[in-house]
Order: sequence, then C-alpha cells, then structure tokens
Amino acid sequence: MSLIYSLKANQPGIAHVINDYLGEMRPFVKRVENPLLVAPMVMLKTIEWSIYSWYKTPIRRFYGVKGNELIYMITNACNDRCPKCGIWERPEPKEQHLMISHFINCLKRLHHNLYQVTLTGGEPLLFKADVMLIAEEAKKLDVPMVIVSNARFIDEEFLTRYKALGHILVISVDSVEREKWNEFRGKKNFDIVMPKIMLAKQILGDQLRIQSVLSKESAEEIPKVIEWCKQHGIQHNIQFYQDFGAYNWHNPSTTEKVNYDNDTPCAARKNICIYPNGDVVKCFDHRRIPLAKEPLGNIAKQDIIEILCTKRSTQVSKIMKTCNLPCKNMSCNKPQTLLFN
Amino acid sequence: MTALIIPCYIKTQWDIDCLNRLLDTVQNQTQFFDKVYLIDDASPLNYKPSHKFIEQIILTENGGPAKARNIGIEKAISIGAQYLLFTDHDCILDKEWNKQMTSFLRQSDFGAVGGMTYSWGKTLLDYYHEINGTLAGKWLLPEKKELWYMPSLNFGIKSFVVEQFGFDERFPTAAGEDVDLCLRMRSKYKIGFCPDAKLWHDYGYKNSISGFNKFMKLFKKYKSSSATVYEGHTVLMWDASESIYKGNMHESNLQP
Repeated sequence: MSLIYSLKANQPGIAHVINDYLGEMRPFVKRVENPLLVAPMVMLKTIEWSIYSWYKTPIRRFYGVKGNELIYMITNACNDRCPKCGIWERPEPKEQHLMISHFINCLKRLHHNLYQVTLTGGEPLLFKADVMLIAEEAKKLDVPMVIVSNARFIDEEFLTRYKALGHILVISVDSVEREKWNEFRGKKNFDIVMPKIMLAKQILGDQLRIQSVLSKESAEEIPKVIEWCKQHGIQHNIQFYQDFGAYNWHNPSTTEKVNYDNDTPCAARKNICIYPNGDVVKCFDHRRIPLAKEPLGNIAKQDIIEILCTKRSTQVSKIMKTCNLPCKNMSCNKPQTLLFN
Repeated sequence: MTALIIPCYIKTQWDIDCLNRLLDTVQNQTQFFDKVYLIDDASPLNYKPSHKFIEQIILTENGGPAKARNIGIEKAISIGAQYLLFTDHDCILDKEWNKQMTSFLRQSDFGAVGGMTYSWGKTLLDYYHEINGTLAGKWLLPEKKELWYMPSLNFGIKSFVVEQFGFDERFPTAAGEDVDLCLRMRSKYKIGFCPDAKLWHDYGYKNSISGFNKFMKLFKKYKSSSATVYEGHTVLMWDASESIYKGNMHESNLQP
C-alpha cells in the first residue's frame, strides 16, 4: 500500500513517475529514526514501489485509468416511431423528468473515474438545451461525451458548438434507402434527416459515427449502410437487436450463432445508468435479474456515490458479472475501442 | 454486545501456533468478548483449538476471507451483537484491545474503528512494515480526523453499518476486500482511529534474508486483488491519504 496517496488521474510521462517515486520517498525517509537504516529502508521502499508500479492492476487502480461509463437516458420521448423500439410509447410525465442540475451534480461527483458520459433515449435532442449544458460541463471536467440521436433535430448551430467541444455524435441509421428508412422509423423523414447527416459529416468530421441495429428485418439493409458509410468515410458499428418491449422486430438468425464471450467487459463493471426520472441502475436491462428489478437509488434524492456503494449495488454487480444474458452483445457491454471501425 | 470474528485458513503448523497464540490473548482480555467466531475457510490442515470459548464454523469450500467474515457477521447479528470486531489468526491482541475498540464504537458517532497495529517480529523487514504502516491503515488527509481505510486485521464496525455494507465476496483472497469495504462504507459513515487499541501482527519473517521472498510475495498479493474495485466508489480513492505509524498516530485531534 502506498505511503501517501495524493495523485490525480492522467498524469502521464516520466515526470509523473519521478514525482511519484520522490513523493513516496521523501516522507518515508523522514520516518527512519536510525541513520544507519536509511539505505536498507529506502531499498525496501523502492522494491515495494516497483512492485506496485510494475503491475498494471494497481497502477490502474491507484493512478487512475478511468473505469466507468455514465449512461443517461435523458428521456423516453421520441419524435420517431420506430417499430423496433417501444420506448417512445412510454414518455415520462413532465413532472417526473429529472432536473438537469441533479445530473450535472452526478457528473461532477463521478468525473474522476469516467472515461465517457453517454446520452441516449428516446431522442436526447428533444432536450437540446440540457444536452448542451451537459456537453459543456463534460468538456470542463475533461470527460468525453457521446450522444446517440436520430439526427432529426440537429442543425448547424448545434453541430458547430458540439464540434468545438470535441464530443462524439452517434446517429442511428438502419437503412439508406428511402422506403425502408421511412418504414423503419415510422415517419417519412428520409428527405429531412439525410441532408442533416451530410451536414453533420461536413461539420463534425471524425466526431460523427453511424450505428445500425441488426435484426431479421434490417439484415438486408445493413450491408448497404456499411457500404454507404465507407463511401462517406464515417465510422460504423452494428448493434444486435435487443427487445426492450416493442416485440415487433426479431433477432436475426446470425445472432443465434454468436458466442457470448465471458471475457467481454460486462456492463456491471463499468456502467452507471440513469433513467429519465433519476433512478440509478447498473444496466437498462436490469429487470431480467430479480435482485436488480428495483432501482438502486435516485440521484434527485441521494448522492450517487452513496447509491453505488450499497450492499445491493455490490450484489447486483456480482450477479451481472456472470449473468451472460443476450444483452451482453450490446454496445454498452463493450469498450469503445472495439465498437467503431 | 461485542462479537469477535476471526477468519482463518490453516496450512502449516506455524498457522496453528499463531492461532493458539491469538486465542490466548483473546482469553486474557480485560473485557471479555460476548462471542468469538472462528470461521475456518476449508483449511487443508486439520486442527482442534483447545480454547472452549470459541464457536468454530468449518466451511466445506474455500471462499476467501470476505465470505468467511460475512458468515461470521450473519451469525453475530443473529444473536444481537451491536459491535463486530475483526482480527486475523496471525495477530496478537493487547489485553485492553476489546475494551478500547468497543468503548470507542459505543461512545462515538463513527460507523467503524481501527486500532494501532505494530509489527511483532524484530527483523529489518518487520521494522520496514512498522514505519511504512503497511497494515496500519491510513489517515484521510488533510485533517486526519477520520480514516481513509483500516485493514480488517484490526477493525471494528457497528452492526447496523455492516448490515448495509458487507464484505464483497468477489474478492477471492485476503487482499483488497477491506479497502473495498472501507471505501463503500465511507460513502455514508466515517471510520475512526483508536490508538490505544493495540495489536501486533506477525509477518512470519525468521530473519531479514530468508524473509525477503515472503516480503516480495506480500506486496505481490496486494496487487492481485480483484478488479471489482473498478466500481463507482473508486472515485473515493482520489481522496488523499497517509499511512499511519507510531510517529503520526497522535497527530489528529480525533476524540471518541
């Protein structure tokens, strides 16, 4: 165990290593009363320091590779009517919608350990002003942000501000053909949204990503989306279809062949999920696990750290680490580096 | 009502000797424990402690000290224990240890308490641990009015606190599970420090040369604790801390 621990995350380089070593040694040497023992004690301290520095786990643990993703389902409401998704059928009542200040406080409390904050929905940009507040706070706190959107409400002003903040925008696209697009979105907005995606590419450049949901219904369309993304130089990711209550789409036959990889980082270990009303869960598919059915707490009423430290939170994490449910194939279970290509 | 919980995994005759030595000091307390649980974590070596005051629980499968302690916690709470103290088989208690720890918990608002841990042996390696504060816990800086954490070998906790924050059984060995518990419980409660609750820990070094390999293994073991600490409470690890040794054990104004 290190003698004095007061270092912050992301202090890279040789200067960090030297400072770390000296930071340990200086106060330690003062503890040695017998001058004859200074040399052997410094040698032993150096050995201890080297062991802790050599192995990745304690370095990551004590010197801070950021381990958590904060995922905020900012709203259930959506302007599209995608048959694959039932969330838009259950928009939260206005009085239950979380005040943005509660989420900002939560972000501030957790930011040291966050490698990313993700906004999803529903359609997050229905709350564009709140989204920009979060994006600006995330920038201040040095936390990268991702918004998953249908792109209906993006415009030049939003994109320009978002570009300056350096965050990522992920747009959901399951088809690049007008007829299928309109069918998949339940709204005839292909001709409105496609130009907006092109505008996003023009302004955001590499900060734009496309994500598609692979299901039996979309299976023939996805290769066309991939090809379209290649042509336009946009990174693309496939998300396997997961039913969250719509019951209209179906798993493609290919997903049955997917081997659930036990080594894939599990949501329980990294994800902190917030519902539109502020309820906290470890995974938005938590209801599959009896102990996790009820939320762990609510950030409007409790401190997020206190919520995450409860016994039940630990027990839920333990179960989820090996639950191996089909949702293990979803993007939220994987590190970002494996997602887009 | 105070219960003492001792998890153990007995592999050698040295472990048995240590355990008997500990139980002698448990017996000689100025204030007796109301209950003493010895949780044997499926030890490979058969032994039978001669001390009649203990309740020995032998587990059929090795599950690690976190699981063993949780079993002891459950037992202690079921008989109405208010204060739960923990130590390890290779420790030696000062005769006032229980009295000091229990009084501290009874008279303070702290959710948990740690005592002062010294090295038992006299080798250079033992001296190193003594001034390094390897197993002596850490002050929370800058005020030093509460602890960042206290190892479970010299630790006490109130029953209503441990009911909310038990040991995480995902930790398979005696490494990291006590840090994890302290971090989680610090989200709601504070850990106090009682310098008068003295305890000695026997690292088992015969001499500084032959003990060197053991010294290396000890720190390697601490690095090996499970990745379960990657949870939200790791944020609390960013709090600055300083290890405790006899030179700073009285620096705080902390009073029970």
